[in-house]
Order: sequence, then structure tokens, then C-alpha cells
Amino acid sequence: MAQFNLYEEEFHPSPLMHIWLEFKRSHFALIGFAILLLFCAIAILAPLLAPYDPNIQNTNAILLPPAWEANGSIAHIFGTDTLGRDVFSRTLYGCQVTFGSSVLLVLIASTIGVALGTLAGMKKGIKSSVLNHLLDSLMAIPTLLVAIIIVAILGTGLWNSMWAIILVLIPQFVHQTRSFVREEMKKDYILLDKLDGASSPRIFWSSILPGMFELLAVQSTLALSVAIIDISALGFLNLGAQSPVVELGASLSQSLEVAYSAPWLVALPGFFIFLMVLSINIVGEGLRTALRNRLIH
Amino acid sequence: MNNLLLRYINLMVVTITILIIISFSLGYLFPGDTLTNISGIVPQSEEQRIALEAAFKLDRSIFVQFWYYLDNLVSGDWGVSFSSQVSLIDEISIAFPATLELITYALLISIFIGIPIGFIGGIWHHKPFDFGAVTFSVVSYSFPVFWLALIFITIFCLQLGYLPLSGRVNFLYDIPHNSGFILWDILVADSPNKKDAFADALRHLILPTASIALVTTAIFIRFTRRSIMDEMQKGYIDAAKSRGFTTKQIFFKHGLRNSLLPIIPLMALQISTLMTNAMVVETIFSWPGIGNWLIQAIYQRDYPAIRIGMLVVSIFVVTFTISIEFISRAFDPARDKFERGTV
Repeated sequence: MAQFNLYEEEFHPSPLMHIWLEFKRSHFALIGFAILLLFCAIAILAPLLAPYDPNIQNTNAILLPPAWEANGSIAHIFGTDTLGRDVFSRTLYGCQVTFGSSVLLVLIASTIGVALGTLAGMKKGIKSSVLNHLLDSLMAIPTLLVAIIIVAILGTGLWNSMWAIILVLIPQFVHQTRSFVREEMKKDYILLDKLDGASSPRIFWSSILPGMFELLAVQSTLALSVAIIDISALGFLNLGAQSPVVELGASLSQSLEVAYSAPWLVALPGFFIFLMVLSINIVGEGLRTALRNRLIH
Repeated sequence: MNNLLLRYINLMVVTITILIIISFSLGYLFPGDTLTNISGIVPQSEEQRIALEAAFKLDRSIFVQFWYYLDNLVSGDWGVSFSSQVSLIDEISIAFPATLELITYALLISIFIGIPIGFIGGIWHHKPFDFGAVTFSVVSYSFPVFWLALIFITIFCLQLGYLPLSGRVNFLYDIPHNSGFILWDILVADSPNKKDAFADALRHLILPTASIALVTTAIFIRFTRRSIMDEMQKGYIDAAKSRGFTTKQIFFKHGLRNSLLPIIPLMALQISTLMTNAMVVETIFSWPGIGNWLIQAIYQRDYPAIRIGMLVVSIFVVTFTISIEFISRAFDPARDKFERGTV
């Protein structure tokens, strides 16, 4: 639309700003975003915030209830567990491990997935078709099964369970990237690039990738929520993080024996996992709505 | 049509072959003695080792071994479990139907609750009901399934004492193993207290099924709502409106069918989430299914069991997914490309 206004200054937000303007219109999305930022802060600052070492055992205060109960003490806000370890510090460190490792594994999975997806999308023919179909059907294999096999081969541990989840997440990224790249390759601006003599890597870096970031962001929030649930489930089943590493799912399963006498030991780690995943899902939902509304305008 | 069938059969064969190759190579990849990992037997003497190696063709080339493995798989000789020395095919044929039963009920519940809620939300979108549906779906999608199961146990078993904590049916009722589906087995068994047994089995089923179904229901609400919203905005709906059809006619004649078709394969893909959740929930409720069995196997480092269990579960999941994909594609010629959905 041709417009000429001499006196009124026009406001043209950048694409990123546009998303933010749309995103902040939803209060729920903002709250979710704030909680997510809080978890990011916890993940980075856990050693500074935690009042105690998460593995120090205080035998004078075993199974102390949280501070808000009658017998609780303010020295241990969330109480202590069966070995007298401070639950608040353990929860902070647990958030660090669970959240941090999930972010890390989503980053790894998205990098590998985008690389493979771009290869499959830019190349044509039987190779990409076989790769694509095979990945599709292998994608259906449950995470836990892959994790069981990897644990059986390599043994238990946080990294091994992370590899399992990475392996399961990669096909989703490959698929999304591939169909996006394939769609974009048909468009005129890519043709223009080609006529200008741009090489394939250059087309990808400077023309396709900038447009793909939004798709990647949405896909990453989805993958992140799946990753957190999976990594804590593996920890819960004793297939993931092992003892000196504090992980929320693992500390939940360790306190199952005293679940009846000390329910907060089961409730708190579970609640933090739930809150983490909830905030990510809300942000993901808000982001998707924002992107959709931006496209409509 | 034939071409399509051929392509899907080809895909299925290739995928299953890869799965079999993976499971075959697992025998070598697992730590420890390859002979024990494959046969499930620890040789007691040098003679026995040589005899076992000859029996499992370990002294022959890798291709002979693979052929022998394939032959055994097809003929049902799946080896013995390392920890219990029971034939694996017997253990799996008891454990797998139990999981299948759980998954089937959870899937049915999710379909019958999720799709109608998603429909209503999609038609009256941005209204209070839709808002409630979306909130419900986001919140329940965020529950870690093991925590949810523990909450259910705390509320319904420990606090209120309404529902049983673990197992499939009370040991008082002696149900002969028939199909492996406990409700069906009770129905066909001729015992005098059939009714009580059935009610008891149902009470055992409620909590595990509900824990698994909640997450899947949330996903189904999302899929259906989005699909309806997208479909009702299309041009042909406007065209029908301008011809004077009522909203009801448009919706049931056009919108419903066109928005259901694309989401069926997406729902089939949820079998993987469903399976993972079922495996976790089984360990919590001591449900004697394949997930519980596999996790016990990994705790005991029962490698022959893991190898075969992995193969059975993954072949089931892959076959199911590919078949549904084929069916939906065969019935929906408009769809030339498989679109993967976002939750």
C-alpha cells in the first residue's frame, strides 16, 4: 500500500520485534516466559543460590519437613531428605542438571538434524527419499526403548541417556528442515541467488537459514519439553543420572520409599519438572500464536 | 493403488530388515561374553562352550550366523532369558498383550474424549469453552507421567483407599491365560465369580489407563482443534455458506470429514509416546507388561531378553505406524505428501 505521511512518523518493527510485540499481548505467555527465564537463571546460578552443598549429609536433621509446616525449620526451606541433605539446594542443582542437559541435548540434536535435513532437502533423488522414509519409520520407535539399548551397551549415566534422547529427537528436526528447505528451493529468490552464482552453502547460510529460525525456535520448544520429560523419566527409572549428580527425576525415585511419611520429597521435584515443562509449553504456544498472527497481518 | 501398496510394503520390509540387523548386532555390542549374550547360557566347561558355539553357529561366518538368527526368529525359537532360563517367546507372549491392552484402552479413551473436546473448541474458538480446552491440554501435556501416576496413587489408593495399588487382578481370582487381554480372558473363562473378577480387573485398570491417557488426550485435543480451525477457514466452506447451507450442514457434510482425515496419521504417530508412557507407568503400578519386563531385564543385565524385547516392540510400533499411514493415504487421495504435525 502506497502511503505518504509527511508528519506522522511510521513505525516499522523488525521481524523479531514484531514477534515480541505479538507475543507480549498474551499475559499467560509472558508469565510462562518469566518462569522460563527464572529456570534459566537457576540453571546458571545454582551454585551461588544454593545455601548448602547438595550432597552434604546433616545427620542431625533427617527428614525435616518444609518450612511452612509446624515442625519445619527456616534453615531448610524445603526440608531435608532421608540422608539429611537440604532439599532446596538439591532442587536447585536438580533444575540445573535437568534443564541444562535438556537445553544442551536439544542444541546438539537441532544442529545435527538441520545439517542432515538441509542435505536431504537440497539434494534430489533416491538418496534423500530413502533417508527420509527410513528416518520417518525409525522415528516411531519409543524413546525409552532406544535408551534401554544404549544403557545396555554403554552403561547408565547422564550422558548416555542424553545420547538416547538426541537420537530420538534428530529425525523430527531432519523432517522439518527438509520440507522447509525443499519448499524454499522452489522460490524465486533462491533462483535469483543461483543466477548470481551463489554456491549451495552460501544459499543455505545467507538465504534459507535466516528464514528458518522461527521454525527452529518453535520446534526447539517442543523438543525441549519432550527432552525434559524423557530425561527425568530415565532418571526416575535409574537409567539416567547416577548418584553424585543431582537430577530431579532421580531424586524423586530415591525418595519413593518414604513417600508416605515424607510426601514433600516426592511432590517437590515432580512439581518443578511440571513447572519447567509447563512454562516451556506455554512459551511455545505463545510463540506459535504470535507467528501465526504476524503472518495474518 | 498397487504402486502405493508396493511402496509401503517395500518401506516396511526395509525398516524391519534394519531392525533385525540392529538386534543381531546387539549380541556383539553388549558388554560381556558374546556367547552368553546370544544364548542366555553361561557355559560351565570348555566342552559345553564348544558345543554351544557349534549350536549357535558362532564358529561359522557372520552371514551364516545371521541366516541362523533369521531362521530362529521365524520359527519361534527366540532363545532363553539369562536370568530366569525361561523361553523368551513364552514370556513375551504373556507380557506383550498386557501392554497392548493398556495401550488400547488408553488410546480409546483419548479418542473418545480428546476428539469431541477438540471439535467443540475448534468450532467455537476463542470462546470460554475453547479457552478451557486449550488450558487443559497445555497443563496435562506438561505432566511427567511418573509423577502423575504417583499423585493418582497418593490420592486414590493411599488417602481415599478406593482403588488397588498394583497388579492386573486380585490373586483370589484364578484367570486362565487365554488371549492375554485380561478383560476378555475373564469373559470367556467359566468361573462362578466372573462378575466380581471383571469388576476387580476394571478397578485395577483405571489408574494406569488414566495416567497414560491424559497426555494423549491433550495431544488429540490440540490436533483436532487446530485441524478444524484451519479447515473451517478454507474457501469451500465460504462457498457453501454463500449457497445458503446451514452451519450444521456444512460442518457435518464437509468440515468434519476433511478435518478428520489429515489427523488420523498424526494420531497413529502417538503410539510411540503412548508406548514410552505405558512402559514407565507399568513399572509404577507393577503391571506385568513388556515395559516392566524390559526394565527388569535391564536392571538384571539380561541381554538376550533386551535384544528380543527391543525387536518385538519396535517391529510392532513400526508396522502399526506404516499400516495406518498407508490406510490413511489410500483413503485420502488429495494428500500427496505426508505432513508431520506439531503438537
